[in-house]
Amino acid sequence: MIIDVHGHWGPWFFSMEVGDVATNLAVMDRYGIDLAVVSATEAIVYDVAAGNRAMARVLETSDRLLGYLTVNPRQLGNAERDLRELLPSGNFVGVKIHTDYTGSPVDSAQTREALAMVAAHDLPALVHTWGSTPLDLAQACTDIPGLRAIAGHMGADGWRHAVEAANSVDRLWLEPCFSHTRTGRFAAVASAVDPRRLLFGTDATLIDPAAAYGAVLAANLPAETAERVAWRNAAELFRLDLP
Amino acid sequence: MKDPANRSGGVANPFTADDLPPIGLDIDVLVGRYADRPGPSGEPADVAAALAANGIAGAAVANLRAALFDMASGNDETAALPGPGVVPVGGVDLRDPLGAEREVVRLAARGFRAIRLFPDDQHVEPDFPSVRHVARRATEAGLVVLAGGDVRRFWRPLRGATVVFLDTHFYHLGDFVVVARDEPGFHTSTRLLNSPDALETVLAQLGAERLLYGSRTPLYEAVVPRLRLARSGLDQAARAAVAGGNAHRILGLDR
Repeated sequence: MIIDVHGHWGPWFFSMEVGDVATNLAVMDRYGIDLAVVSATEAIVYDVAAGNRAMARVLETSDRLLGYLTVNPRQLGNAERDLRELLPSGNFVGVKIHTDYTGSPVDSAQTREALAMVAAHDLPALVHTWGSTPLDLAQACTDIPGLRAIAGHMGADGWRHAVEAANSVDRLWLEPCFSHTRTGRFAAVASAVDPRRLLFGTDATLIDPAAAYGAVLAANLPAETAERVAWRNAAELFRLDLP
Repeated sequence: MKDPANRSGGVANPFTADDLPPIGLDIDVLVGRYADRPGPSGEPADVAAALAANGIAGAAVANLRAALFDMASGNDETAALPGPGVVPVGGVDLRDPLGAEREVVRLAARGFRAIRLFPDDQHVEPDFPSVRHVARRATEAGLVVLAGGDVRRFWRPLRGATVVFLDTHFYHLGDFVVVARDEPGFHTSTRLLNSPDALETVLAQLGAERLLYGSRTPLYEAVVPRLRLARSGLDQAARAAVAGGNAHRILGLDR
């Protein structure tokens, strides 16, 4: 069993043809990924309301995809409405916040308000982090009761900050996806944080899972830790009822 | 890479890959060090061990000493590296175009097959005269150019040369494809082509002969482009070409 906690559905604006849900499933099959938690690219980069609704329709078509409802911190009114209207389907299991595309750094007032809203709904939040911003996300976890957050990309090149962040609070998880797969990055993180805080995320279908999968392979984790990374931690975080 | 039967206490490791292809020649390998960053080790013995652990039999190796400190002594070190799988690549310093043109001549005389450009490490922009000049001299000397830097900008001074772009990111693949249509000597490393359809796009648009496996050992995880190649839509012949056949061809090692 492998669960990808950082996936996307929909087209990207680069020279790539990855927008069909069939591509999601084919790419998952390449690597034996059973479930993926995905957000709509349209909701992230352009129209959050339309993208979330398109995502909701796609989630009805596959039992291998679970949804992130995307929240744009600059449009919290939309977020309240989307949460109210789309959560009852049961197909959305978390919230995605992209700090760059929305011009909303983790420590901005609007993102902090968005994270408080997410915590009030008792949903995990996947937040785009880069550089030192996992530390800002850890601070948000400290300040906002009940917030459970995933540091997307575990800070990319700032993974050392992600280690410090994960060790400073008990409600922050890390996932490794990053197209620049520098030697030893995931191994170093895995050896320095509680193994219950590690998740598997790929950024597919933007990035092929080879990047994250290869990084985990190269880390040569003990089998129990690898199982935690692969699915057990994700199942607990998203409260999935798995067979 | 990992024993599929890796078990501990009855738990099986879900991450396995028993289909990784052997790599005949890796076009992007370094030895040496950066003064401003910790490991991983670039000591030749450690690099050789990393290559062996990743099923990489041959490597086009350049030396950071040549790129960052002194071309001649760095390249002499590279030429002396042991191992039948080592294809020495001459590092040139674009900050010193006069020294670089001398070094290109010296490298060709010593039997080197390729030079490597490090514009990012040397803070050299694509419109600096040095880039075009060194590429021209390398081409005149019959040397392949292994080029770091953003392909969207470094294509221009490298026109007409036989080039392997080592830093082509899949974000920029469309730009590589449209320029490579007009430049039959342009090739790309697979290192950062790690989107779901990048290898397949090059295959469809340009042909598999433009793709060369590159890992940037020891700085990047060599298993990633290897795994991507294993799970690609390329057939066995194309995979073999990417895994070393193309590198042998453009470096003239099959003659």
